[in-house]
Amino acid sequence: MPEDAPFTLPHGARVSVRRKATLSWGEAIGASLRKFHPRHQIHNPIMLVVYIFFFFLLLATFAPWLFPDLDGPAYDPTYYLTLTIILFVTLWFANIAEALAEAQAKAQADSLKEVRSGLRARQIIPDGSRRWVSSSQLHSGDHVEIAAGEMVPLDGDVVRGGALIDESMMTGESEPVVRESGGDKTSVIGGARVIQGSVVVRITAEPGFGFLDKMIRLVEGTTRDKSPNEIALTVLLSALTSALLVVVVSLAYLLGFLYPRLFNLGTLIALIVCLIPTTIGGLLSAIGISGINRVTRANVVSKSGKAVEAAGDLDVLILDKTGTITVGNRLAVQFIPCEGVEPVQLMKAAITSSALDDTPEGKSIIRLAGLKGVLPDRVDAQKSRALPFTPERKMSGLVTPEGVEYMKGAVSAITTYATVFPESLTKRSQAAATEGMTPLAVCVDKKVLGLVILKDVVKPGIKDRLRELKMMGIRTVMCTGDNRLTAQAIAIESGVDAFVPEAKPEQKLSIIQDEKSRGRLVAMSGDGTNDAPALARADVGLAMNSGTSAAKEAANMVDLDSDPTKLIEVVSIGKQLLITRGALTTFSITNDVAKYFAIIPAVFVGFAGMETLNIMQLTDPKTAVIAALLFNALMIPLLIPIAMRGASFRPQSAVELLRRNLLIYGVGGLVSAFIGIKLVYLGVQTLFSNPTFMIASGAVRQALLHL
Amino acid sequence: MIAISTLPDVIVLIILGLVSAAIVGRYMAKVFVGRPTFLDPVMRPVESALLRLMGVDASRQMRWKEYAVALLVLNATATVFVFVLLLLQGYLPLNYWNAPGMNWDLAVHTALSFDTNTDFQHYTPELQTSLFSSLFGLMMMMFLSAASGISVGVALIRGFLRKDGTIGNFYLDVTQAFTRVLLPISILGALMLILAGVPQTLAQSVNIVPLAGPAQGIPLGPVAAWDSIEWLGSNGGGFYAANGASPLQNPSAITNLIAIFLMLIIPFSAPFMFSRMVRKEGEGRPLLIAALTIFLVAILLFLYFESYNPFLMSTGISQAGGPLVGAEQRFTLPESALFQIASVYGNVGSTSMSIGALTPGAQADLLWGMFIQGAPGGDGTGFGLLLINTLLAIFVGGLMVGRTPEYLGKKIGKYEMRWSTVVILSHPFAILIPTAVAFIFGLAQFSPAGLPSHQFTAVLYEFTSESANNGSSMGSLIDNTLYFNLAGAVVMTVGRYLPMIAMLAIGGTLASQSPLPPGPGTIKTDSSTFTVFLILFITIVTGLLFLPVLVMGPFAQGLLGGG
Repeated sequence: MPEDAPFTLPHGARVSVRRKATLSWGEAIGASLRKFHPRHQIHNPIMLVVYIFFFFLLLATFAPWLFPDLDGPAYDPTYYLTLTIILFVTLWFANIAEALAEAQAKAQADSLKEVRSGLRARQIIPDGSRRWVSSSQLHSGDHVEIAAGEMVPLDGDVVRGGALIDESMMTGESEPVVRESGGDKTSVIGGARVIQGSVVVRITAEPGFGFLDKMIRLVEGTTRDKSPNEIALTVLLSALTSALLVVVVSLAYLLGFLYPRLFNLGTLIALIVCLIPTTIGGLLSAIGISGINRVTRANVVSKSGKAVEAAGDLDVLILDKTGTITVGNRLAVQFIPCEGVEPVQLMKAAITSSALDDTPEGKSIIRLAGLKGVLPDRVDAQKSRALPFTPERKMSGLVTPEGVEYMKGAVSAITTYATVFPESLTKRSQAAATEGMTPLAVCVDKKVLGLVILKDVVKPGIKDRLRELKMMGIRTVMCTGDNRLTAQAIAIESGVDAFVPEAKPEQKLSIIQDEKSRGRLVAMSGDGTNDAPALARADVGLAMNSGTSAAKEAANMVDLDSDPTKLIEVVSIGKQLLITRGALTTFSITNDVAKYFAIIPAVFVGFAGMETLNIMQLTDPKTAVIAALLFNALMIPLLIPIAMRGASFRPQSAVELLRRNLLIYGVGGLVSAFIGIKLVYLGVQTLFSNPTFMIASGAVRQALLHL
Repeated sequence: MIAISTLPDVIVLIILGLVSAAIVGRYMAKVFVGRPTFLDPVMRPVESALLRLMGVDASRQMRWKEYAVALLVLNATATVFVFVLLLLQGYLPLNYWNAPGMNWDLAVHTALSFDTNTDFQHYTPELQTSLFSSLFGLMMMMFLSAASGISVGVALIRGFLRKDGTIGNFYLDVTQAFTRVLLPISILGALMLILAGVPQTLAQSVNIVPLAGPAQGIPLGPVAAWDSIEWLGSNGGGFYAANGASPLQNPSAITNLIAIFLMLIIPFSAPFMFSRMVRKEGEGRPLLIAALTIFLVAILLFLYFESYNPFLMSTGISQAGGPLVGAEQRFTLPESALFQIASVYGNVGSTSMSIGALTPGAQADLLWGMFIQGAPGGDGTGFGLLLINTLLAIFVGGLMVGRTPEYLGKKIGKYEMRWSTVVILSHPFAILIPTAVAFIFGLAQFSPAGLPSHQFTAVLYEFTSESANNGSSMGSLIDNTLYFNLAGAVVMTVGRYLPMIAMLAIGGTLASQSPLPPGPGTIKTDSSTFTVFLILFITIVTGLLFLPVLVMGPFAQGLLGGG
């Protein structure tokens, strides 16, 4: 936000932003129950196994006669009922995880739809009058006026005025944003609400093709394509599941033959369910959906989940110098007076020459002088005559009513314009140019007073972000139209890995093709029509919402804030998505160790050495099995927050990340399961020894036995 | 007389072994990337003669499917040849002991057993095979199967070097594995064994008059040559039924050491060859350390479990002199342990002691090695399995650092995962299903009968050994039956060729990717963090799959005491 932003919130006041995109728990629960339909279960091979065994146990509980001599006289219907309930809960938790992630996405879509249906706006018709129209009647190029309290009908650019705008319906971001004409904060999204101020907006989208519509379509997309990594992980998890199935099924047959006394169908089913990776299996789709939701929350619309994942894999980022690495305008950094000229004298002349200069360069000269304590003399701007900058003249300035001519401009132009150009200044200006800076000479009545040095200023914070990218193993390439010297100076200052000077926008395409031919994944951001081919070719193309529609069409992501550095944020989200999957897989696998230590002694009761293996000291075998199975089920809801938020991630080298995540999720998974199962065991034991519970379960047992 | 009995002895041996492995590994890398070696003048003509004999084009680079077909066709042809030889050996020459032709099912099992590098013997070799079968059938097969294994391992590694989709020429690889690696080392080995007293003759018998009883004929033959390739080629089929415990095959502590050296030299040189071939010196290290760690832990556990016998302990009998049951008394316990762990973890399958008489803990230790198969595993394929385990570990670990996992610049995607999981799956399937079937249908008979837990362990060991292409046996199971011959033949074939095809497929898909330069965003696979992760990953995944059967077998026999 610029320092002199016209709209700031009154001190202490809070804009009440009604977050329509609130999660509907009721709906999520409803959806989670509907997901018990086989049609849904079939998509997830791991939970499908649990699903099938759930029905198996259900039959074993309520129709034990279907199984010849089930567990013999030791058949315990309440044990089977308990296991059945836990399996149901396991499935349900997995359904809830997915439903919650979908509800989060859908909540956004619903509120968007609601907004879209009733949008009306005041159109400015060519004769200057206003009339109320529905958003569906507007077309690209129309102008509308929007006052405080009204809604933006369609995507567009602010062409006049400025306003504080609430975009929370679309982005879920509760902070209102400033949009104003000129500069890079002009784009408004259909559906946003103006809180304060009034703007004229030129519509840039056709009805039905605005951002809103695209987003609703994306969120509503019923078929969510699995991304390549998700497929590979599913292959691994399915293989592990089927291997463990074979292990336990063959164990069951062997037990039945070798040790029939130990055979217990319920326990063996519990063993399968505990061992197969249900934790990651149950959360896998929630992780994927939440990844896209997080991108949306960063004010970026991704056209596919694949693009988000690809962002985590990027090898090369192609960044525009202007607007991404530098603030975009050259700013004054130094005054160099001629010999015999007082600095104040030079500064005053420079300010005066810039008094009618609206460019950021001009303004920066006034600001720099102000910082040094030199304030502009009151120049009667009305009466002065401006000499604006033209490409031919390469100078600008003004002539005061008294006829004094104040000029500033490129050294080459001033050399021919001024009566004489001091030798010492030539050297200084050349030195500045070799450092990538732009020297301007300042004259009063054709007498050179000195130089103003302008410099491309690197955005605050960009250095840190580029360093983070380097740590993540991503190479950054800066593209700029500047000459080699200027480009080099900025490249060194900002820390980019490589730069391409004197680049035309079309050149980005060839850079991308070159990198891709070496097998690298490339990302770029862009906004112009001539960026479109490169955006389409890049693995991740991030278009600015303020950009042309061609660019937005070609890209696979659109940034609503039109902030090119957003690319860096998207990389983090993509990485986080993969990390979450890997971390929960590791967690799921290491959890199994403790489950084995709980269930194996329970399966092989009375075997030699089982007390050595029973390191958790779970004395009652059935309670031990129930505890392990219940713990397994509980891990799903406990990890939903991680699945939805994503595993915490900060840029580190891969080895550090691996070590850190192995400690948290590998060792953590190992230790937490031992402690967790023991705690659940103690809890279940307390419950089972509760007199009321014992009476109730006794009654249930009798009822089941006489069924 | 050299005797290994203390830890320093073992450490010196390991260091000497690793130095030799480094030398052999670097030499093999040279051979398989086609750089000149000192053997060129001698072996060039031999190779071109062999290739001409096979009538194949050794110059064209093959894609993985073509490579796999060539591998399968050559091995199938050889198997059929050996099968016919074994059926007809009664009519063939060099049959001093009048061994009759084998039953068809035993011949199927034996031919496939030697073809798959398993060398599981459901027969008594000195009585049931003729010298003709041994020389021209089984010994030829011992070279071919080892050479095939090395070729597949090399082809998989080439996947990391190439980007045109080819992984080498099978015929050239298999020929060079024979002429440049197996033949020279096995000749050296045989000479050393002869010097150490192992018989090498074409005479098939020697008559001796023992101190008591009538005169006996002792079967003889080219035992030293057989021994050498049996051990070097991770084959493991004995010239005598007693195998490494026979005083004619393994007469002294020196031959015992030579055997251990031959069994481990190629498997442990593979990581060095890998580093050289991929031209990244540190990359073989984590695999070497992982294999070595698992291997050394196995030796320590073996020594621990064999140092006390839970059953004897409960009777109060002193075990101060070490275990008496099942161990070869000519050797010290560490010598026997080294031999047995080298043989089983190196997927050789030769035995120097009675596995059936080992303590349950030691049996579990041996089973564990065959479950893992890659620490260090057999020639070529052992390293291949270790590489596939590494790919799986990198996949999970790579996700954890937020990047599509990649190894040596090649991405590991769904295709690589699919084939890697084939390898992971084939082992438990091939072991557990026939084991369960054997019991459910009452197909297993035992002599002596023993406890159910021991019976179970014996059948589990049988199929584990066959699926891992190991070849060692626990005894007591009567295995020359229709079921065990045919089921065994299927298990060995699945256990050998499914992983091999998967390795070639992975090699092929890796070879069709252009390599990416490594950056700080990729896991450094030569880091200690990754090495520890790899060891834990292999241990946990293997444990998850096989703990229940270990509990039913060795554990139930009182591994943890308290029986």
